[in-house]
Amino acid sequence: MSPVDLTAELEQLHAAAFGWALSCCGWDRTAAEDVLQASYLKLLDGRARFDGRSSFRTFALGVIARTAREARRRSALRRWLPLASLVFGPEAVDGRPDPATVLVRADETARLVRALGRLSERQRQVLHLVFYEELTIAEAAAVAGVSLGTARTHYERGKAALRKLLEKERE
Amino acid sequence: MIERDDDQLRNGFEALRRADAAGTPSFRATLAAARTRQATSRRHRALRLAAAVVALLAAAVVWTWRGRDTARLRIDLATVRWQAPTDFLLTLPGDELLRSVPQLGSRGLDWRSL
Repeated sequence: MSPVDLTAELEQLHAAAFGWALSCCGWDRTAAEDVLQASYLKLLDGRARFDGRSSFRTFALGVIARTAREARRRSALRRWLPLASLVFGPEAVDGRPDPATVLVRADETARLVRALGRLSERQRQVLHLVFYEELTIAEAAAVAGVSLGTARTHYERGKAALRKLLEKERE
Repeated sequence: MIERDDDQLRNGFEALRRADAAGTPSFRATLAAARTRQATSRRHRALRLAAAVVALLAAAVVWTWRGRDTARLRIDLATVRWQAPTDFLLTLPGDELLRSVPQLGSRGLDWRSL
Protein backbone atom coordinates (compact mmCIF):
# COMPACT_ATOMS: atom_id res chain seq x y z
CA MET A 1 0.00 0.00 0.00
CA SER A 2 1.48 3.38 -1.01
CA PRO A 3 1.93 6.11 1.63
CA VAL A 4 -0.80 8.18 -0.05
CA ASP A 5 -3.30 5.27 0.05
CA LEU A 6 -2.29 4.51 3.62
CA THR A 7 -2.86 8.11 4.69
CA ALA A 8 -6.27 8.13 2.96
CA GLU A 9 -7.28 4.88 4.70
CA LEU A 10 -6.18 6.25 8.05
CA GLU A 11 -8.10 9.46 7.50
CA GLN A 12 -11.27 7.48 6.83
CA LEU A 13 -10.71 5.41 9.93
CA HIS A 14 -9.65 8.31 12.15
CA ALA A 15 -12.82 8.78 14.23
CA ALA A 16 -13.16 5.05 14.91
CA ALA A 17 -9.44 4.82 15.67
CA PHE A 18 -9.67 7.65 18.19
CA GLY A 19 -12.65 6.00 19.89
CA TRP A 20 -10.75 2.73 20.10
CA ALA A 21 -7.63 4.50 21.46
CA LEU A 22 -9.83 6.15 24.10
CA SER A 23 -11.20 2.77 25.12
CA CYS A 24 -7.69 1.22 25.25
CA CYS A 25 -6.49 4.09 27.46
CA GLY A 26 -9.44 4.04 29.88
CA TRP A 27 -10.93 7.19 28.29
CA ASP A 28 -7.87 9.26 29.11
CA ARG A 29 -7.92 11.72 26.23
CA THR A 30 -4.28 12.80 26.41
CA ALA A 31 -3.07 9.23 26.58
CA ALA A 32 -5.37 8.27 23.70
CA GLU A 33 -3.96 11.04 21.51
CA ASP A 34 -0.41 9.91 22.33
CA VAL A 35 -1.23 6.29 21.51
CA LEU A 36 -2.96 7.28 18.27
CA GLN A 37 0.01 9.39 17.17
CA ALA A 38 2.47 6.59 17.97
CA SER A 39 0.27 4.10 16.08
CA TYR A 40 0.04 6.34 12.99
CA LEU A 41 3.82 6.70 13.01
CA LYS A 42 4.25 2.92 13.20
CA LEU A 43 1.90 2.48 10.25
CA LEU A 44 3.38 5.25 8.11
CA ASP A 45 7.03 4.38 8.86
CA GLY A 46 6.44 0.74 7.97
CA ARG A 47 7.21 -0.56 11.46
CA ALA A 48 3.70 -2.07 11.33
CA ARG A 49 3.21 -3.42 7.82
CA PHE A 50 -0.21 -4.31 6.42
CA ASP A 51 0.01 -7.66 4.63
CA GLY A 52 -3.62 -7.91 3.54
CA ARG A 53 -4.47 -10.99 5.61
CA SER A 54 -7.31 -9.10 7.31
CA SER A 55 -9.21 -5.91 6.57
CA PHE A 56 -7.20 -2.72 7.01
CA ARG A 57 -9.60 -1.63 9.74
CA THR A 58 -8.94 -4.78 11.80
CA PHE A 59 -5.19 -4.43 11.26
CA ALA A 60 -5.04 -0.75 12.23
CA LEU A 61 -7.15 -1.27 15.35
CA GLY A 62 -4.83 -4.15 16.31
CA VAL A 63 -1.81 -1.84 15.99
CA ILE A 64 -3.51 0.72 18.24
CA ALA A 65 -4.31 -1.97 20.83
CA ARG A 66 -0.68 -3.16 20.86
CA THR A 67 0.64 0.40 21.10
CA ALA A 68 -1.67 1.12 24.06
CA ARG A 69 -0.48 -2.08 25.76
CA GLU A 70 3.17 -1.02 25.28
CA ALA A 71 2.38 2.42 26.69
CA ARG A 72 0.73 0.84 29.74
CA ARG A 73 3.76 -1.40 30.27
CA ARG A 74 6.09 1.58 30.07
CA SER A 75 3.87 3.45 32.49
CA ALA A 76 3.99 0.55 34.96
CA LEU A 77 7.77 0.34 34.61
CA ARG A 78 8.03 4.07 35.24
CA ARG A 79 6.15 3.65 38.50
CA TRP A 80 8.71 1.06 39.63
CA LEU A 81 11.82 2.77 38.30
CA PRO A 82 11.83 6.54 38.95
CA LEU A 83 14.72 7.15 36.53
CA ALA A 84 12.95 5.31 33.71
CA SER A 85 11.24 8.56 32.72
CA LEU A 86 14.65 9.78 31.53
CA VAL A 87 14.80 6.85 29.12
CA PHE A 88 11.17 6.62 28.02
CA GLY A 89 10.15 10.28 28.18
CA PRO A 90 7.16 11.73 30.01
CA GLU A 91 4.33 9.50 31.22
CA ALA A 92 1.47 9.03 28.78
CA VAL A 93 -0.97 6.41 30.04
CA ASP A 94 -2.13 5.85 33.57
CA GLY A 95 -5.23 3.81 32.67
CA ARG A 96 -7.70 6.08 34.47
CA PRO A 97 -10.40 8.17 32.79
CA ASP A 98 -9.41 11.77 32.22
CA PRO A 99 -11.49 13.79 34.78
CA ALA A 100 -12.22 16.53 32.22
CA THR A 101 -13.57 13.97 29.75
CA VAL A 102 -15.77 12.38 32.40
CA LEU A 103 -17.22 15.76 33.41
CA VAL A 104 -18.17 16.70 29.88
CA ARG A 105 -20.05 13.47 29.13
CA ALA A 106 -23.80 13.16 29.43
CA ASP A 107 -25.04 11.13 32.41
CA GLU A 108 -25.97 8.04 30.43
CA THR A 109 -22.68 7.96 28.57
CA ALA A 110 -20.74 8.60 31.77
CA ARG A 111 -22.56 5.65 33.39
CA LEU A 112 -21.60 3.42 30.47
CA VAL A 113 -17.95 4.54 30.66
CA ARG A 114 -17.86 3.92 34.42
CA ALA A 115 -19.43 0.48 33.99
CA LEU A 116 -17.01 -0.41 31.18
CA GLY A 117 -14.15 0.64 33.42
CA ARG A 118 -15.15 -2.04 35.90
CA LEU A 119 -15.03 -4.86 33.36
CA SER A 120 -11.90 -6.85 32.68
CA GLU A 121 -9.70 -5.43 29.95
CA ARG A 122 -10.53 -8.23 27.48
CA GLN A 123 -14.28 -8.00 28.08
CA ARG A 124 -14.17 -4.24 27.63
CA GLN A 125 -12.16 -4.57 24.44
CA VAL A 126 -14.39 -7.19 22.85
CA LEU A 127 -17.60 -5.32 23.73
CA HIS A 128 -16.17 -2.05 22.43
CA LEU A 129 -15.04 -3.64 19.18
CA VAL A 130 -18.41 -5.32 18.58
CA PHE A 131 -20.79 -2.55 19.67
CA TYR A 132 -18.80 0.61 19.08
CA GLU A 133 -16.63 -0.35 16.11
CA GLU A 134 -19.30 -2.71 14.73
CA LEU A 135 -16.87 -5.54 14.06
CA THR A 136 -17.83 -9.20 14.10
CA ILE A 137 -16.66 -11.29 17.04
CA ALA A 138 -14.10 -12.96 14.76
CA GLU A 139 -12.68 -9.57 13.76
CA ALA A 140 -12.72 -8.45 17.40
CA ALA A 141 -10.76 -11.59 18.31
CA ALA A 142 -8.13 -10.72 15.68
CA VAL A 143 -7.81 -7.15 16.95
CA ALA A 144 -7.60 -8.18 20.62
CA GLY A 145 -5.18 -11.00 19.77
CA VAL A 146 -7.26 -13.83 21.26
CA SER A 147 -8.90 -16.94 19.80
CA LEU A 148 -12.47 -16.82 18.51
CA GLY A 149 -13.70 -19.04 21.37
CA THR A 150 -12.07 -16.79 23.97
CA ALA A 151 -13.53 -13.68 22.33
CA ARG A 152 -17.03 -15.27 22.37
CA THR A 153 -16.68 -16.05 26.07
CA HIS A 154 -15.52 -12.50 26.83
CA TYR A 155 -18.40 -11.16 24.72
CA GLU A 156 -21.11 -13.14 26.52
CA ARG A 157 -19.71 -12.67 30.03
CA GLY A 158 -18.90 -9.04 29.35
CA LYS A 159 -22.44 -8.31 28.17
CA ALA A 160 -23.98 -9.94 31.24
CA ALA A 161 -21.60 -8.10 33.58
CA LEU A 162 -22.16 -4.78 31.81
CA ARG A 163 -25.97 -5.09 32.04
CA LYS A 164 -25.72 -5.80 35.77
CA LEU A 165 -23.37 -2.87 36.31
CA LEU A 166 -25.63 -0.51 34.35
CA GLU A 167 -28.65 -1.60 36.38
CA LYS A 168 -26.72 -0.97 39.59
CA GLU A 169 -25.65 2.44 38.31
CA ARG A 170 -29.30 3.38 37.62
CA GLU A 171 -30.44 2.41 41.14
CA MET B 1 -23.78 -10.91 15.91
CA ILE B 2 -25.66 -8.31 17.90
CA GLU B 3 -28.92 -9.77 19.17
CA ARG B 4 -32.25 -7.99 19.59
CA ASP B 5 -32.00 -7.74 23.38
CA ASP B 6 -28.70 -5.95 22.94
CA ASP B 7 -30.47 -2.82 21.65
CA GLN B 8 -30.00 -1.04 24.93
CA LEU B 9 -26.27 -1.64 24.90
CA ARG B 10 -26.09 -0.72 21.24
CA ASN B 11 -27.83 2.59 21.92
CA GLY B 12 -25.47 3.29 24.79
CA PHE B 13 -22.43 2.66 22.62
CA GLU B 14 -23.94 4.73 19.83
CA ALA B 15 -24.28 7.68 22.23
CA LEU B 16 -20.73 7.11 23.39
CA ARG B 17 -19.50 7.09 19.80
CA ARG B 18 -21.30 10.37 19.07
CA ALA B 19 -19.80 11.96 22.20
CA ASP B 20 -16.32 10.77 21.28
CA ALA B 21 -16.71 11.92 17.68
CA ALA B 22 -17.53 15.43 18.86
CA GLY B 23 -14.19 15.64 20.64
CA THR B 24 -12.04 13.86 18.08
CA PRO B 25 -9.00 15.92 17.05
CA SER B 26 -8.65 16.43 13.30
CA PHE B 27 -6.69 13.85 11.35
CA ARG B 28 -4.25 16.44 9.98
CA ALA B 29 -3.54 17.80 13.46
CA THR B 30 -2.93 14.30 14.80
CA LEU B 31 -0.58 13.49 11.93
CA ALA B 32 1.30 16.78 12.34
CA ALA B 33 1.64 16.19 16.10
CA ALA B 34 2.91 12.67 15.38
CA ARG B 35 5.58 14.00 13.00
CA THR B 36 6.69 16.64 15.52
CA ARG B 37 6.81 14.03 18.21
CA GLN B 38 8.90 11.76 15.99
CA ALA B 39 11.45 14.53 15.34
CA THR B 40 11.59 15.40 19.05
CA SER B 41 11.93 11.79 20.09
CA ARG B 42 14.79 11.27 17.57
CA ARG B 43 16.56 14.32 18.98
CA HIS B 44 16.01 13.11 22.55
CA ARG B 45 17.27 9.64 21.66
CA ALA B 46 20.43 11.12 20.13
CA LEU B 47 20.94 13.33 23.18
CA ARG B 48 20.47 10.42 25.54
CA LEU B 49 22.95 8.34 23.54
CA ALA B 50 25.48 11.19 23.52
CA ALA B 51 25.07 11.70 27.27
CA ALA B 52 25.62 7.98 27.88
CA VAL B 53 28.76 7.97 25.70
CA VAL B 54 30.15 11.06 27.48
CA ALA B 55 29.43 9.52 30.89
CA LEU B 56 31.17 6.29 29.88
CA LEU B 57 34.19 8.16 28.52
CA ALA B 58 34.41 10.29 31.67
CA ALA B 59 34.25 7.17 33.84
CA ALA B 60 36.97 5.50 31.75
CA VAL B 61 39.22 8.58 31.91
CA VAL B 62 38.78 8.96 35.69
CA TRP B 63 39.48 5.28 36.22
CA THR B 64 42.63 5.38 34.06
CA TRP B 65 44.02 8.56 35.66
CA ARG B 66 43.36 7.34 39.15
CA GLY B 67 45.43 4.22 38.41
CA ARG B 68 48.26 6.30 36.94
CA ASP B 69 48.35 8.74 39.88
CA THR B 70 48.63 5.92 42.43
CA ALA B 71 51.56 4.39 40.55
CA ARG B 72 53.40 7.74 40.24
CA LEU B 73 52.94 8.53 43.94
CA ARG B 74 54.39 5.19 44.94
CA ILE B 75 57.53 5.72 42.83
CA ASP B 76 58.01 9.29 44.09
CA LEU B 77 57.85 8.26 47.71
CA ALA B 78 60.36 5.50 47.17
CA THR B 79 63.04 7.50 45.34
CA VAL B 80 62.91 11.18 46.17
CA ARG B 81 64.34 12.70 49.32
CA TRP B 82 63.65 16.35 49.72
CA GLN B 83 66.27 18.63 51.23
CA ALA B 84 65.48 22.08 52.52
CA PRO B 85 67.99 24.87 51.66
CA THR B 86 68.42 25.60 55.38
CA ASP B 87 69.34 22.01 56.26
CA PHE B 88 73.03 23.02 56.65
CA LEU B 89 72.08 25.09 59.72
CA LEU B 90 71.20 21.89 61.54
CA THR B 91 74.66 20.44 61.01
CA LEU B 92 76.87 20.99 64.11
CA PRO B 93 80.68 21.09 64.06
CA GLY B 94 82.03 17.65 65.05
CA ASP B 95 78.67 16.09 64.31
CA GLU B 96 80.34 12.96 62.91
CA LEU B 97 81.94 12.23 66.29
CA LEU B 98 78.51 12.19 67.96
CA ARG B 99 77.07 9.76 65.42
CA SER B 100 79.93 7.26 65.45
CA VAL B 101 80.83 4.80 68.24
CA PRO B 102 84.36 5.35 69.63
CA GLN B 103 86.59 2.28 69.44
CA LEU B 104 88.55 1.91 72.64
CA GLY B 105 92.16 0.70 72.40
CA SER B 106 92.47 1.52 68.73
CA ARG B 107 94.74 4.18 67.30
CA GLY B 108 91.82 6.10 66.01
CA LEU B 109 91.77 8.49 69.00
CA ASP B 110 95.12 10.05 69.97
CA TRP B 111 94.94 11.53 73.53
CA ARG B 112 97.96 13.76 72.79
CA SER B 113 96.08 15.60 70.20
CA LEU B 114 93.45 16.74 72.76
